[in-house]
Amino acid sequence: MPERNVTPIRGLKVGTIVLIVIAVAVIALFSTSFFVVDQTEQAVVLTLGKFSGIAEPGLHFKWPFGLQRNYNVKTKVVQTEQFGFRTAQLGVQARYEDRTYPEESTMLTGDLNIVDVEWIIQYRITDPKAWLFNLQDKQKTIRDISQSVINMLVGDMTILDVMGSQRVAIEQAGQQLMNETLKGYGLGIEIITVKLQNIVPPVGVQAAFEDVNKAIQDMNRLISEGKEAYNKEIPKARGEADRIVQIAQGYAAERVNKANGDVARFSAVYEEYRKAPDVTKDRLYYEMIEAVFADEQNVELIDSELSNFIPIKNFGTQAGGDR
Amino acid sequence: MKKLITVLVVAVVLLGLLVLMGPFYIQQEGYQSVIVRFGQITRVETDAGLKLKTPFVDNVVTYPKKILMWDGEAQRIPTKENQFIWVDATARWRISDPAKFYESISSLDSAFGKLDDVIDSAVRTVISSNFLREAVRNSNDIMNSTSSETFETGDAEGSDSLRQLTQTDASYDSIEKGRRALSTDMLAMAQQLTPEYGIEIIDVIPRQIRYSDELTESVYNRMIKERNQIAQAFRSFGEGKKSEWMGKLENEQRSILSKAYEEAEIIKGSADARATKIYADAYGRDRGFFDFWRSIESYRTTMPKFTKTLSTDMSYFDYLYGPRGR
Repeated sequence: MPERNVTPIRGLKVGTIVLIVIAVAVIALFSTSFFVVDQTEQAVVLTLGKFSGIAEPGLHFKWPFGLQRNYNVKTKVVQTEQFGFRTAQLGVQARYEDRTYPEESTMLTGDLNIVDVEWIIQYRITDPKAWLFNLQDKQKTIRDISQSVINMLVGDMTILDVMGSQRVAIEQAGQQLMNETLKGYGLGIEIITVKLQNIVPPVGVQAAFEDVNKAIQDMNRLISEGKEAYNKEIPKARGEADRIVQIAQGYAAERVNKANGDVARFSAVYEEYRKAPDVTKDRLYYEMIEAVFADEQNVELIDSELSNFIPIKNFGTQAGGDR
Repeated sequence: MKKLITVLVVAVVLLGLLVLMGPFYIQQEGYQSVIVRFGQITRVETDAGLKLKTPFVDNVVTYPKKILMWDGEAQRIPTKENQFIWVDATARWRISDPAKFYESISSLDSAFGKLDDVIDSAVRTVISSNFLREAVRNSNDIMNSTSSETFETGDAEGSDSLRQLTQTDASYDSIEKGRRALSTDMLAMAQQLTPEYGIEIIDVIPRQIRYSDELTESVYNRMIKERNQIAQAFRSFGEGKKSEWMGKLENEQRSILSKAYEEAEIIKGSADARATKIYADAYGRDRGFFDFWRSIESYRTTMPKFTKTLSTDMSYFDYLYGPRGR
């Protein structure tokens, strides 16, 4: 106590320092003794640098002061690599970067054409220990292998196959080959998807490729035009043919009916004529004359005795009978 | 009490110092180290864990044990047929013998320099001693390819002939090695030199092969021409089909109409024949009356249209002008 009274500040100081040192030590001890592993992760634990186990999600104890270290690895998360394009912004409507990556997407096909292929791969880390300690530049290696595999597969096909029928084959073979190669390095991942995106001819020849599609459209258009003309004329011609035949049939019916009619009338009259031939003949003659002159107005009658008559009448006037 | 604490603190600090500089070091997973004493390699540690060393005397040089990557610049290389292509190769390697590596190269940077020399030259040698197709293709599968344009004409026979027309004439030279084998060649060539550096090259892989710029231009032109020719085939096929339809149209139109004409004339003819027979049968009964009757009928229809100037000596006027009337 007297000491304290003599040097109160110093005593306080020593005690405080000790307390502080102990507190710091305790804090350090606790803060370096626990670690949390997220549900998406597994943690690799190294004891004095040596692998000693894998920690599952949850709170874990470890030796303090870095004697045990934990490396959390996202083993549940599916990771994506894009080739030939990049997503600029994820979202409901993802935006893609405008720039292209010809150093990734330009490839030679087996028929020595050039094609631009864009694709993605998705992978998951299956062995966190291998993932951490077997390879140095992991992401770059994954990208390089993916690129070389797709290049090789595209190099084995014709450009039309690449753009058309063989897409799925490339995806499947690609996945298999990438997995084989990466397994060879002991990378500890599994490629779960290879999906080809845009496969297009290079910009310089796209117009020509487009033109083939246009040509196919043109071809179908021309064929349709031919069919259209055919369809326009032939049913009409069939109808026209029908009309001609119908008219002929009408003519035939008319002709026969008329004949029958004429003959019936003739026969009827003839029957009566036989009974009184002279009278009937004269009557018929007068009736005819009446019928012929019934509507006539300007008929000129010329005496047969006049010898100096100019036998042409009414020069320059309209003929009367032409009504 | 106070002294005890002081002693304790000092002891802890000293222990800490000892541990820090002293006989232990921690080797992490994925690394390996060479222990050098006065410039001389005494030990190589390749597995992880707590390791011993003599303080102040031993120098620990740590190298990665992991597989490392080498990524070269793309090289412009002529193939055997003297076409220039860009080849972008990548390789994987590891330090297989840290002691040798320490002796001959010692730093990673100079290792990359060495690898540049070795791998670039292997790639160059292999590519330039093979045809382009060997580098591009990996198998002869393409020779079985039945790739063709996809289109619909709605007519199977026409489609077949068109398919033949637009088939890219597919005669491919067969390859002897292929890309994989070239990779193996490059690896074998590069591997010959590296063991003395303590380096093991695991693989050499062409990541991308593409035409040089001036070659690209002519390839584009070839591709365009090829496309044009195919487009032309489609268009002209369409023209042909259209003409075919037009011809068919005219053919059928003519035959339909002429057929109708034929039928119509036959119908008319037989009707005429029937009518003729009907008339002949009836009129034949009295030739004289028929003449009279038919003349009268005819006058009735034709006379009203004539302009008439009559003479009084017609028998019709007998009673008007003639002696019987007067």
